[in-house]
Amino acid sequence: MTAAPPELDVTAREALAELLLSVADDEFVIGFWDSEWTGIAPMLEEDVATSSIAQDEIGHAKALYELLAELTDDDADRIAFGRGVADFRHAALMNHARGDWAFSVARRYLYETADAIRLTALARSGHEPLAQLAGKMRREETYHLLHADAWLRRLAEGGADGRERLTNGLVSLWPDAQEIFAPLAGEETLVREGLLPEPMRAMHADWQARVRPILDPMCGALPDATPTLDGRERRTDEFSWLHGEFTSVARSEEAAAW
Amino acid sequence: MWEVFRQEDEGDPMIHAGNVNAPDEELAMHYAREFYGRRGESHRLWIVAREAITELDDPDLLKPPFDRSHKKPGGYIIKHKLEAAKQRAASEAGE
Repeated sequence: MTAAPPELDVTAREALAELLLSVADDEFVIGFWDSEWTGIAPMLEEDVATSSIAQDEIGHAKALYELLAELTDDDADRIAFGRGVADFRHAALMNHARGDWAFSVARRYLYETADAIRLTALARSGHEPLAQLAGKMRREETYHLLHADAWLRRLAEGGADGRERLTNGLVSLWPDAQEIFAPLAGEETLVREGLLPEPMRAMHADWQARVRPILDPMCGALPDATPTLDGRERRTDEFSWLHGEFTSVARSEEAAAW
Repeated sequence: MWEVFRQEDEGDPMIHAGNVNAPDEELAMHYAREFYGRRGESHRLWIVAREAITELDDPDLLKPPFDRSHKKPGGYIIKHKLEAAKQRAASEAGE
């Protein structure tokens, strides 16, 4: 255990913990949803690729949970598997079950594009361990984004059925995708202390400017949408089901050392 | 179908790793990366459309029916010549 950086006071540490948890939970939950494709993806090669990307996301979550555990003197496994449904802080985008293939592609595209903007900012964080980790994650996420983008274009430019499923997914997920940039309670502190180089609303504007030129022509103009205050607190029955799945092994032997 | 060749380190030979099924070059690259590079085992991959490969498997060209032993180094027995040369060299050095 390394002690929390001495320059951070309690308020800043709490704000940083909130930020780390939000990013980690995003990666963790999307990783678990996408791992639901293992064995049933459209073709063998894609099955391996999707499963591998899902594993990467869970790996990123692990690294972030470990950073958080150091900061709060906690345990990464407990944070990942020992919390109840209501304690998760992923964006509402990750509340939905995997749906059909096009739906999963739509979510991955919305998530990866937003995550790229977030990681670029976090790589400049004043919290050095986070900046370094974000830099490393970005190297892997570049490939994830290329993969999601390749599928988005194929479904958009392929047959009518695929295109319709894709745009249905994009349109239905659009409002909840905004929540990746939902304001954090400690955001003012994070920005003031240089832990978060840009406020969420600025990143949100960058993201919209990036994806709208691609998605608007595909879906017809998407409605105005902004992040909401409880964008990382709303939970669904679908997520409760997934939570039951991913905590089942840890719950089966609570005192075990893994 | 795409044939994948991998290189473990810079300078190593490209070795056939296997193949992936993909509808186009872009997805072939993704799948090759996942199949033959996701564990950090490759320094470089070559991904080649199977149609781009010129294949030669004609036995008349590759396995002609006549004795080819004179084309192999093993076709020349030089053991005795080599021993004689060594002896000659030793005796010349001794003079």
